[in-house]
Amino acid sequence: MSEPLRVSPLHEAFSALRPRWGRHNGMRVPVTVAEQVDEQKYITSIALTDLSCLGRFGLKGPAAENWLREQSIPVPPGVNQWLQIGQCSLIARLATSEFFIEDGTGSDNFAFDIRHKLGCGLPGVTPVLRQDAKIAMAGPVAHEVCAQTCSVNFAALNLDERPLVMTTMIGVSVLVIPGLWNGKPLFQIWCDPTFSPYLWKHLLEIAQELGGGAVGIAALFPNFFQRG
Amino acid sequence: MSERLPPVAGEWIDRSRRIAFHFENAPFSGYAGDTVSSALAAAGVRALGRSFKYHRLRGVLSMANHDINALMQWGARLNLRADVTPLQDGMVLASVNTRGGLRDDRMAWLDKLSVFLPVGFYYKAFHTPKAWFPRWEKLIRATSGLGEVKFDAPRIKTPKRYAFTDVLIIGAGPSGLSAALAAARAGLKTVVVDENPCAGGSLVYQRGGDEQTFRTCAELTNAAKENANIEILLATEASGYYADHWVALVDADRMIKMRARAVIVASGAFEQPAVFRNNDLPGVMLASAAQRLIYRYAVKPMRRAVVLAANQDGYRAALDLHAHGIEIAALVDLRGGEQSELAVAVSQAGIALRTRYCIVEAIANAGKDGLAAALIAPLDESGEPMLARAERMACDGIVMSVGWAPALNLLYQAGMKVDFDDHIQQFVPSHLPEGVFAAGRVNGIYTLDARLKDGTRAGLEAARFLGAASVEQARAVARQEASPSHPYPIFAHPKGKNFVDFDEDLQLRDFFDAAQEGFDNIELLKRYTTVGMGPSQGKHSNMNAIRILARIKGKPIDQIGTTTARPFFHPVALSHLAGRSFQPERVTPLHARHEQANAKFMQAGQWLRPEYYAVPGMSKEDAVRAEVLAVRRSLGIIDVGTLGKLEVYGPDAAQFLERVYTGRFANMKVGATRYCLMCDESGVMIDDGVVARLAEQQFYFTTTTTGSATVYRELTRLNAIWRLNVGIVNLTGHYAALNLAGPQARALLAPLADIDVSEAAFAYLGAREGSVAGMPARLMRVGFVGELGYEIHVPAQYGATLWDVLLKEGARYDIKPFGVEAQRLLRLEKAHVIIGQDSDGLTTPFEAASGFAVKMDKPFFIGQRSLRIIQGKPLRQTLVAFTLTDGLHGAMPKECHLVIHDGHIAGRVTSIAYSESVGKVIGLAFVAPERAQTGTRFGIRADGGVMVNATIVKPPFYDPEGLRQKMSIEAVRA
Repeated sequence: MSEPLRVSPLHEAFSALRPRWGRHNGMRVPVTVAEQVDEQKYITSIALTDLSCLGRFGLKGPAAENWLREQSIPVPPGVNQWLQIGQCSLIARLATSEFFIEDGTGSDNFAFDIRHKLGCGLPGVTPVLRQDAKIAMAGPVAHEVCAQTCSVNFAALNLDERPLVMTTMIGVSVLVIPGLWNGKPLFQIWCDPTFSPYLWKHLLEIAQELGGGAVGIAALFPNFFQRG
Repeated sequence: MSERLPPVAGEWIDRSRRIAFHFENAPFSGYAGDTVSSALAAAGVRALGRSFKYHRLRGVLSMANHDINALMQWGARLNLRADVTPLQDGMVLASVNTRGGLRDDRMAWLDKLSVFLPVGFYYKAFHTPKAWFPRWEKLIRATSGLGEVKFDAPRIKTPKRYAFTDVLIIGAGPSGLSAALAAARAGLKTVVVDENPCAGGSLVYQRGGDEQTFRTCAELTNAAKENANIEILLATEASGYYADHWVALVDADRMIKMRARAVIVASGAFEQPAVFRNNDLPGVMLASAAQRLIYRYAVKPMRRAVVLAANQDGYRAALDLHAHGIEIAALVDLRGGEQSELAVAVSQAGIALRTRYCIVEAIANAGKDGLAAALIAPLDESGEPMLARAERMACDGIVMSVGWAPALNLLYQAGMKVDFDDHIQQFVPSHLPEGVFAAGRVNGIYTLDARLKDGTRAGLEAARFLGAASVEQARAVARQEASPSHPYPIFAHPKGKNFVDFDEDLQLRDFFDAAQEGFDNIELLKRYTTVGMGPSQGKHSNMNAIRILARIKGKPIDQIGTTTARPFFHPVALSHLAGRSFQPERVTPLHARHEQANAKFMQAGQWLRPEYYAVPGMSKEDAVRAEVLAVRRSLGIIDVGTLGKLEVYGPDAAQFLERVYTGRFANMKVGATRYCLMCDESGVMIDDGVVARLAEQQFYFTTTTTGSATVYRELTRLNAIWRLNVGIVNLTGHYAALNLAGPQARALLAPLADIDVSEAAFAYLGAREGSVAGMPARLMRVGFVGELGYEIHVPAQYGATLWDVLLKEGARYDIKPFGVEAQRLLRLEKAHVIIGQDSDGLTTPFEAASGFAVKMDKPFFIGQRSLRIIQGKPLRQTLVAFTLTDGLHGAMPKECHLVIHDGHIAGRVTSIAYSESVGKVIGLAFVAPERAQTGTRFGIRADGGVMVNATIVKPPFYDPEGLRQKMSIEAVRA
């Protein structure tokens, strides 16, 4: 039996844009929509793409921190902080004893490997299924989209402290990591996959009013497809 | 005839851009920068609207949105405030509240009937006789109302956004701008907001004939604009103050939710009208309105004016009028005169001065649409006019400058306390909440120099509050000696029509009548007279109402108090409040598949669920029936991904579930499932689902579709109290789930699963983990729809693929997707209860045939104590299964139709449907416990009052032995 196909919760939203598809972690991913739209123009204002394909998992429990240290994985010192692991994977601390690990756009299956090591869990450490939708939103006016959808003042955060924000955007619980992309604001947004078509639709609508739009992953993360 | 002045320094109009528009079917033109009222005033139009109650002609009063004399409609846009609505090309405007147009309003006769419309008219009319209530309602509904709602108006999506600043300053007048400069120079990010399209506040128009004022305005404005720390938002209203310095800012296109670390309110003051007979005639206006017309829009407000003054501002207004060629018939001062330089300037300008005089009456012109004269009279020692010595003074305008009321609305909303300062006749802040500051006129500071200093003080105080330690300690600014407001600029007249509230057509007499009827508390007076309850929200009337009540009661104003100021400061368009209409919506991972299968969706909480799958040429009922038959005869598949999916793990996991659910879980074997029922503290059923024990310390369980978030939140809250050694995870969105139901379910699943799904290895109520078609899966043997069934849960990203595989492989069994409607019928045939449909906010398990799920002998569970008490009392109602006695002839009863016994309500239907499998109409209903025995008949009152007979039967309706949920197709055939 062939490997079953994973489907992004935003697959239908992107299908409407008729992208050129690629495949990552058993999921069809939008490489580019350049044949339909001017991706480079969007990037100069605001561009959104779907990164739900990245491998991720959660773990929680009183022994979770120790277990991570035993695996030589750095642990963020404070709640609502994140750290980079290796090239571009990340580990985020969602609560005192709750963590979230995700592969980066340029990394190997780090999250998968760690998840595999944990198996069904250990005393005091429980794996948590994370099927989040992930939206990356980047560009000079990304802050404006956040301002129209979220009450958090992201501009006031010190990015050097690697902050992670758990909040709501237009009524949907989200986890947001603000950062920079080519010197411009970048927001990595995770949400419950069942809310993601709604969130995507409205973020895109606002982005389009601001001169931006949806782009393929390669437009924002060209290295993503170069590593094979 | 044009009343446009030659260019005025600082005017807001752009004379290079002409704008054409229509008003009351006549063409007009104005300039860009004009408001509707200013353009009409420039064209010599004085009458702009009709009053609310008496339909009296009205003109400019405040020119500042402090009254609604000029409310207009432009297409679907109603109640535009013409005084402040920017003129736009192509506007087609008409006054609201007229029948037959502004000039020929057929309702104008109401003015003659004012004596029959006393204060409290509505209350009295509706009170007695009661039989007249509907008649009055019809009449009043037909005659009242402002503007016409156009139901075909386009939906306007107005964005909202959040914004943040260190200091928010409300008001870009001299106090606000100086406060901004002080705060910004201390390094703080400062936002200044002003409702006007240009900054400067009263400096723009209260010049007193002195151009230095305007130069000060320009210097201040430029300094603020050039400061990088200052952002000025113009044409933006600070509409409401909310907790933690959160202020709603509204402009033409959007609402900004501004969160500031400190707020400075420098919102100025509302000029107050004098009260005398016919003070509402077009041509009678506040001095600041006349000055706004002159300096903002270069419009001559009148040609010959009588100026009524009781402060220095009246003298300044007279000088402003004089400087622009308006003849001053007289400056009438309610006081003994003015001792300042202003008095000298007025004298030098040759303006006739009458001190200790008042205006008794404004006299209308022949057309009743303007002024012919003012009747003035000297005041006696008690302050009453000596009517015998009244003299007529020809004029076409009366300008009133008798006092101010501070614009404290936002400060009240912020939690400010006030005192009344008798000396300046004004409420002033006595206590301000932390981080909130006041400056300028709201603070009782009126002279320009003092306002500049007070603004600086407020800016420095805000900076120090925010931690700018190096900022100098600000000095308090003293209030001026001369009062800017007269204590009682109100004059009775035997013929009345001396208006206090122009929105509501309230006359002076109305207040005396209300007080005499016992409504002599300011809050009661407000509600009985409706003073301040019109669209202006008391901006021009509240202060005079307080003065009148104080005079009636013989008490100082401090003891009268004020009414409550609530958001919004100015009315906010509903489109702004609605914003983009964000309504969070959830869809399962299979949503696209449902769309492809022609599903018709229904809302279930936030979820969209397939109600049924439409089939071309088939009615909804037939389509649902076909889905039901597929499940009963072969195989159906339903998306149950909307169910809440939670996991509890840890050494105390079983104990935790024992506490939150009514059943017993500690004795469950690994690999088993069990029905779970949740009650609240009062013993009312609130949720249910299925618990699966996956490991000794790991339970996976479902909740109702709408209950997942609430249940998760409640479990988290409970464990924060109990501190049991468990972890709780909400996996609702992270698992896709579907129910494979029907006699062929096992046949389809067996070759796809890597686990043994035979009856022996995986019996009814079992739970297993394995994989299906290569996808990791959690499987549960369930029987909600009364057939052999497997609930399959897979990681959400595999949901669509699993669906595709099952449909493809199931084609040989004629697999058919079924929706919520079919599922409801299938479970009704099994008499399974749906919480929320077959229960309500008061239903206990004992009433809803769910007592089997309650283990009262457990040490504890939520709701147990209440259920013990309930157990000792007679049941209030009992849920029973019924069939229609005579089959279905005529009206089909519906859910919520009433059960009737001896002509009284004895219960209600909770579920009802025609069952093909049973061959009858079946249902569930609450009935009285003493009439709940099998075989008992009862009546249901259907639509139109038709009585339908029903008979109580023993549940379930279908497969009473429950064999089918264990059977394979072979067994069924056998």
